[in-house]
Amino acid sequence: MIYDCAIVGGGPAGMNAAILLAEAGVRVVIMDRAARAGGQVYRSAADSVLPRPEALGLDYTEGVALITAFESCAATHIAAADVWHIGEDGMIFYSLNGTTRQLQAREILLCPGAIERPMPIPGWTLPGVMTAGAAQVMLKSDAVVAEKAIFAGSGPLLYLIVAQYLRLGVKVAGVIDTTPKANYLAALPGGAAALRSWPMLRKGLNLMREISNSGVPVFKAATNLSILGKTAATGLAFECNGAQEIQAETVFLHHGVIPHSNMSRSLGLEHLWNEAQQCWQVKTDSWGQSSIPHIAVAGDGAGIIGADGAQCAGRLAAFNILYRLNVFSLSERDQRAREDQSKLIGMTPFRAFIDRLYQPVEELRLPKDPETLVCRCEEQRLKDLRAGYEAGARDPNALKSLTRCGMGPCQGRQCGPIVSSLLARWRQEPEEAVGYYRLRSPQRLLSLAEFSRFQNNDETGTGAEVSG
Amino acid sequence: MNADVMIIGGGIQGCSTAYHLALQGVSAIVIEKDYIARHASGVNAGGVRLLGRDMAEIPMSKASMEMWKTLDETLKFETGFRRRTLVNVAADGADIAMLQSRQTVMQKAGYFHEHLLDQSQLREVLPHVHSSCVGGVTSELDGYALPYQATMAFRQAAMQYGARFVEGEVLSSLRHVGPVWIGRTQTTTYEAGAVINCAGAWGDKVAMRIGDYVPLSFAAPMLMITARLPHFAKPVVGAVSRQLSFKQFENGTVLIGGGAKGYVDRDQNTTRLDYSKLASAAKTAIEFFPIMASASINRMWAGIEGYMPDNLPVIGPAVNAQNAFHAFGFSAHGFQLGPIVGKVLADLVLSGKTDFDLKAFRIDRYERKVL
Repeated sequence: MIYDCAIVGGGPAGMNAAILLAEAGVRVVIMDRAARAGGQVYRSAADSVLPRPEALGLDYTEGVALITAFESCAATHIAAADVWHIGEDGMIFYSLNGTTRQLQAREILLCPGAIERPMPIPGWTLPGVMTAGAAQVMLKSDAVVAEKAIFAGSGPLLYLIVAQYLRLGVKVAGVIDTTPKANYLAALPGGAAALRSWPMLRKGLNLMREISNSGVPVFKAATNLSILGKTAATGLAFECNGAQEIQAETVFLHHGVIPHSNMSRSLGLEHLWNEAQQCWQVKTDSWGQSSIPHIAVAGDGAGIIGADGAQCAGRLAAFNILYRLNVFSLSERDQRAREDQSKLIGMTPFRAFIDRLYQPVEELRLPKDPETLVCRCEEQRLKDLRAGYEAGARDPNALKSLTRCGMGPCQGRQCGPIVSSLLARWRQEPEEAVGYYRLRSPQRLLSLAEFSRFQNNDETGTGAEVSG
Repeated sequence: MNADVMIIGGGIQGCSTAYHLALQGVSAIVIEKDYIARHASGVNAGGVRLLGRDMAEIPMSKASMEMWKTLDETLKFETGFRRRTLVNVAADGADIAMLQSRQTVMQKAGYFHEHLLDQSQLREVLPHVHSSCVGGVTSELDGYALPYQATMAFRQAAMQYGARFVEGEVLSSLRHVGPVWIGRTQTTTYEAGAVINCAGAWGDKVAMRIGDYVPLSFAAPMLMITARLPHFAKPVVGAVSRQLSFKQFENGTVLIGGGAKGYVDRDQNTTRLDYSKLASAAKTAIEFFPIMASASINRMWAGIEGYMPDNLPVIGPAVNAQNAFHAFGFSAHGFQLGPIVGKVLADLVLSGKTDFDLKAFRIDRYERKVL
């Protein structure tokens, strides 16, 4: 079975693309790890375990309509599929119920979404320290919350989860906002243009107001964060008009999201360093087409644009794929694309404003304390990496070979961006000259027993018979 | 830039050669097109194996094994070498017959480092081996090292004695003018009295520039490593006639090889894995060691390796040029030989002589004598 298009990832970009491609009558398959589609932003939105899902906000509940539209479209949906290999040849291997299945597609659209930017402050790997994204997953998937937790860092997602906690009546020990004063000043010139996206701006301001009216202690422009505790987190120390300490058993950290690039890296697609967002992203044209023409990437996984932007990007990628499949003529593609293109352009000033306002500070992006762990899987500290560099390992892959940093099960998701930037500082060269880890399949741990039963081009084991 | 000796290729052979030359006060410069240990030397399975060697390689392999024993102290940098013994498992009577006939040949030649194991001895050293396995053969001297680290140890030791290393420079021309070898890269011209070709899977190209032709082929031996498992096998494990090879490291991860090969694009420095073949290596590993059914694969990869038609390396002087030497085409078992090869090449450069018989490794062994 050869599909016209395979989509990997069922978030806002993937679902929108699937709907359009299915409408156009091409054979499209979409694989997603979750039981129900939705991605991180609409995780469990269609079958929420929460008594009052509306407490999470309109942005969340609005996802239900998209999920419903997606689930009624003609795309083949393979749920709970763990994709572990995507080949340049269009072959995709994925685990489903403990068995590896495979399918092939002429066009591939990756919608891997975002991951949270690692925040390697001293103690960030202690038990009890989690990310704001983890708090959201716990809330959306299992209706689990952490009482009297600390939220520290910067960025819209941090304020959103705090507001959601407060609406649900969960006590919050404190919000430690690390956004530097200088960022407000630097973002100010873009503020007027951002006013064009007034509803977005108002949503953000409302979140801030909710938090400040709640009576939760808020510390602004905090610096020098470090987790308290030896074997587990007991609180957070920081500076804000002098040294401060807050006790808590749970600390949620967050300072923005970055594209989840393990899929695009494993495929060997070209990547570039986004200076404004201080992160790596896959190189694409305005249709999401990557350095390998039949592979496109859309949504946050191709550069952070948010859920609204991802919906447009998913549709634009689909229009172009339809053109590549000879379903659309060039003019049809361009005409159909106009609305989403202008929507995306409309979002640009607001995105630039947010990017500048919450631009991550180096002090939170890169470790300073030689004892701070960079690679959690292999327990490599800043000082271990520095020693490796001084021994002559100047390339991320050389450093990986020497120190094992990045060799663990997370495939370098956590340490990869840090290592590139550390080497860039030490070599005094830009990140693009330094590069990144060479990644390979499998994209996550793969059972040896499952793999031992794998046969290429197995005619009985294709995903064609599976639908969700 | 000038040096006494110019070494092309910064793998373990090149780094070891630089070390042995520098140790004797000879100025050496290593020119590496990527970075040190980027290819086969840095990403191989790390086997330090004497067991089952071709008869022609045994004298050098034995000498190298002696060096591995104390290599960390000699170099003053860690290679990660661990002596663990190596066991090749015999699956059936045919395997045992093969082992017995080799043993006869070995003992006739005066080699006594391989010891046959019967079924109960096999189970004693490998309690988790499948009960149907009938015996095996072992060498107690064998073990493993960490390939990238070991190559870097040679490099760092060589640098302490003054050897120089340039990375990211590709040899674009090599000429012998009078007594001088002139090598050019994209940025620099190097001059040296002698040149040594340690270019691994690219060794045939450098040989051509020196003036020697050699029928080298290349392939991508594939490996996979598991997440940590409880310790179940102390020795390194291979098989007499099956595609089985694995070792469990101190951190519990298990490296599975077996010789299955992927695809190579040598000019692009890239490899592509053949998942069906890797899957069959996974199957064999579980068949021989059922405990591995609970393992999870963390990474899979392949390196680019050069092979000679007889699976023996090229080691020795050039035949069509003066003051030029080769050491490449190790056919996926050169890592263990690294320490001694560096010494042999240093001896050849400095005295024109070596303690070893290099006849089987000469570069012109495939040259057509008659049309």
